[in-house]
Amino acid sequence: MNSMAIDRRSLLLGTLAFIGTAPMRGVVAKGADDIAYVSTARRAEGTYSVLLLRADGSLIRDVPLSARGHDIAIHRPSNNVAVFARRPGTVGVAFDLDTTRPPHLFMPGEGRHYFGHGSFSQDGRLLYASEADIGSGQGLIGIYDVASGFKKIGEHPSYGTGPHEIMLLADGRTIAVGNGGLDTVPDAGRENLNVDAMEPSLAFVDAVTGKLIAKHDMTGDLKSLSIRHVTQDATGLVWFGAQWEGSPSETPQLVGSAGPDRALKLIEPQTKGGSDLKGYIGAMAVSADGRTIAASAPKAGHVLYVDTATAKVVGQSNLKDVCGIASHGDADFAASSGFGVVRYETAQASTIAEHELQDIAFDNHLRRVG
Amino acid sequence: MIRKAMLTGFSILALIVQAAGAIASEPISHEGMVKAAIEKHIIPHFEALKAAAVPLPAAVANVCKTGSAEANRALSEQFDKAVIAYAGVDFLRFGPMLEKGRREQLSFWPDPRGYLARQMRLILTKQDETIGQPGAIGKQSAAVQGLTALEILIRDPDAPLGPGEPARYHCLFAEAIAANIVRLASEIVTEWEKPGGWAEKMLHAGPENDTYKNPSEAAVEVVKSLIVGLSLTADLQIKPQIDPKIRLKPPYDKSGLQKPYYAASIASLHELYKALQLEDYLTPDKGWMKDWVAGTWRALESSDGAGGRASHAERDDPPTPREVFDRANGLRNMVSNRLSVAAKLTVGFNELDGD
Repeated sequence: MNSMAIDRRSLLLGTLAFIGTAPMRGVVAKGADDIAYVSTARRAEGTYSVLLLRADGSLIRDVPLSARGHDIAIHRPSNNVAVFARRPGTVGVAFDLDTTRPPHLFMPGEGRHYFGHGSFSQDGRLLYASEADIGSGQGLIGIYDVASGFKKIGEHPSYGTGPHEIMLLADGRTIAVGNGGLDTVPDAGRENLNVDAMEPSLAFVDAVTGKLIAKHDMTGDLKSLSIRHVTQDATGLVWFGAQWEGSPSETPQLVGSAGPDRALKLIEPQTKGGSDLKGYIGAMAVSADGRTIAASAPKAGHVLYVDTATAKVVGQSNLKDVCGIASHGDADFAASSGFGVVRYETAQASTIAEHELQDIAFDNHLRRVG
Repeated sequence: MIRKAMLTGFSILALIVQAAGAIASEPISHEGMVKAAIEKHIIPHFEALKAAAVPLPAAVANVCKTGSAEANRALSEQFDKAVIAYAGVDFLRFGPMLEKGRREQLSFWPDPRGYLARQMRLILTKQDETIGQPGAIGKQSAAVQGLTALEILIRDPDAPLGPGEPARYHCLFAEAIAANIVRLASEIVTEWEKPGGWAEKMLHAGPENDTYKNPSEAAVEVVKSLIVGLSLTADLQIKPQIDPKIRLKPPYDKSGLQKPYYAASIASLHELYKALQLEDYLTPDKGWMKDWVAGTWRALESSDGAGGRASHAERDDPPTPREVFDRANGLRNMVSNRLSVAAKLTVGFNELDGD
């Protein structure tokens, strides 16, 4: 294990960290029970936060951060939350929904960076994070011990370059990894360094042993399809959302499915759909009943709803700069936008309700608590 | 006396009329913004790149034929012109630049992993003669196809281009790259200008358009490129100067083009900013924004991009790299959060820079 020394001053100056430890701006904290959604966000004044929201989209608590966060991992039984700096950040912040304990800063260690995503183990003892070995460019799954203050205790390979979202599947043992295939180095900011040589894949990794269970490589016409986000339906099938790094005129469909023992398949229709979504899926979610997949496309301002049984699109809604997406009720969804809107809608794209927070830009990911 | 009073009166009247005209004038429409950006900035800059690229193959061939100091000097000058022209379009990362990966092929920078040098070594070691065949270089890694690859060959003191066997393969390779740069630049110009090309696509936004469903979407595309350009300049050209932990070589370092590259980047960004006329949408109470933006461009243009003062600087005190970095980021935020909003262009937080 590499040194985990933290230069606290540099953290506070330049990377993701809590600003202060007290709860937070404004609103009265009423405990974790009211919290239905969590999202990272940008404030009007250009500051960044983690927002804890009620089921109706109203704000419960605002947790200020010193830099832009990305996704949030939540372990409901323990109320633990982990927020990751966006790619290629090097800091995560963990806190509990009740804010009864002081927050922890955690880091991936020397020569590593995060991609903004992670997932708790089912028992909540471990946190997994998508990471890169900066020197080699190889993707990793970092393993953190929650009880010891999110101390890093190990690493597994991700079996690809640029692992983005990782998800512990319902079996509690398999981690699905969207290996985007894109190589980034913090020194070069967010520049993708290997677009013409990228090798994206969807990998299934044993969370305990770190062994590769299965891997689906994107090859041929799909070699530029960077798998980024994943979710799992009620049957156990993993669904992915991708971004297209090839010629815009050749954009394929961006949403598909696969399993450790099930072949990779894109949804229908396989043409045009991807270019209508402007080549970019920003987040994926599954309905609570596990029957519908939602894929947000912020550049196009659409949410695509896919029936998991037929792999066909059943609805498409329009919301400017939509990206955050999470389940709502049994079969519906909550979508958040960069313009502060939280909209509740059915998979047929009918609006149920809408709530707008002033001076808030919701970031890429919205997570349901529960 | 009377005449003086009349002149004064006329002058005041003229001022009033002028002021009224300024207030009454409509800001440029979103269609107008796109048209101005294409005609005043995008097309001229891509044509400048093509014009700078076209002489490169002959300049390389002349060095390989004669090896003379004069030929080397001419090639060096032409190469510098092409790089500087490229700096003016690097941030126009949409449409024909994005298609077929042309941007990475034209210029493979930044390259913190040294991928270019490794790929070049492989080719130079293998010495595959087919590299000189038409289209062959276009099938190689993007890293070895453009200006950054040509720089390695023309600036290598240990293997100078020239007549004779030692340099034969280097020359074959360099001529292939130079021809490929011309091809890429020419394709981009053609794709913008041809009937039904990208310019027409942007100028004829609408429900039937497969990329731009309305003029605002086309205008947002151009504004986003301005924002991207400011970010690239701040993060890749300036930030390494203020963070000693960052190990990133300046662009075209072997050719000593760090400063001209920065100057060309900023000049091009400023031209695009002016073409868009975003400030025309500001209400009178937002005059401070115009002043701040003007001061920021002055600061950016007063820097040489390497911690010193630009030769044409309007400011006596050269801005530090820290100030340049902060100013470029501040301008980016001003464009994305204030000016575009004032112009009723919604540049989304997530669509701009998602992940």
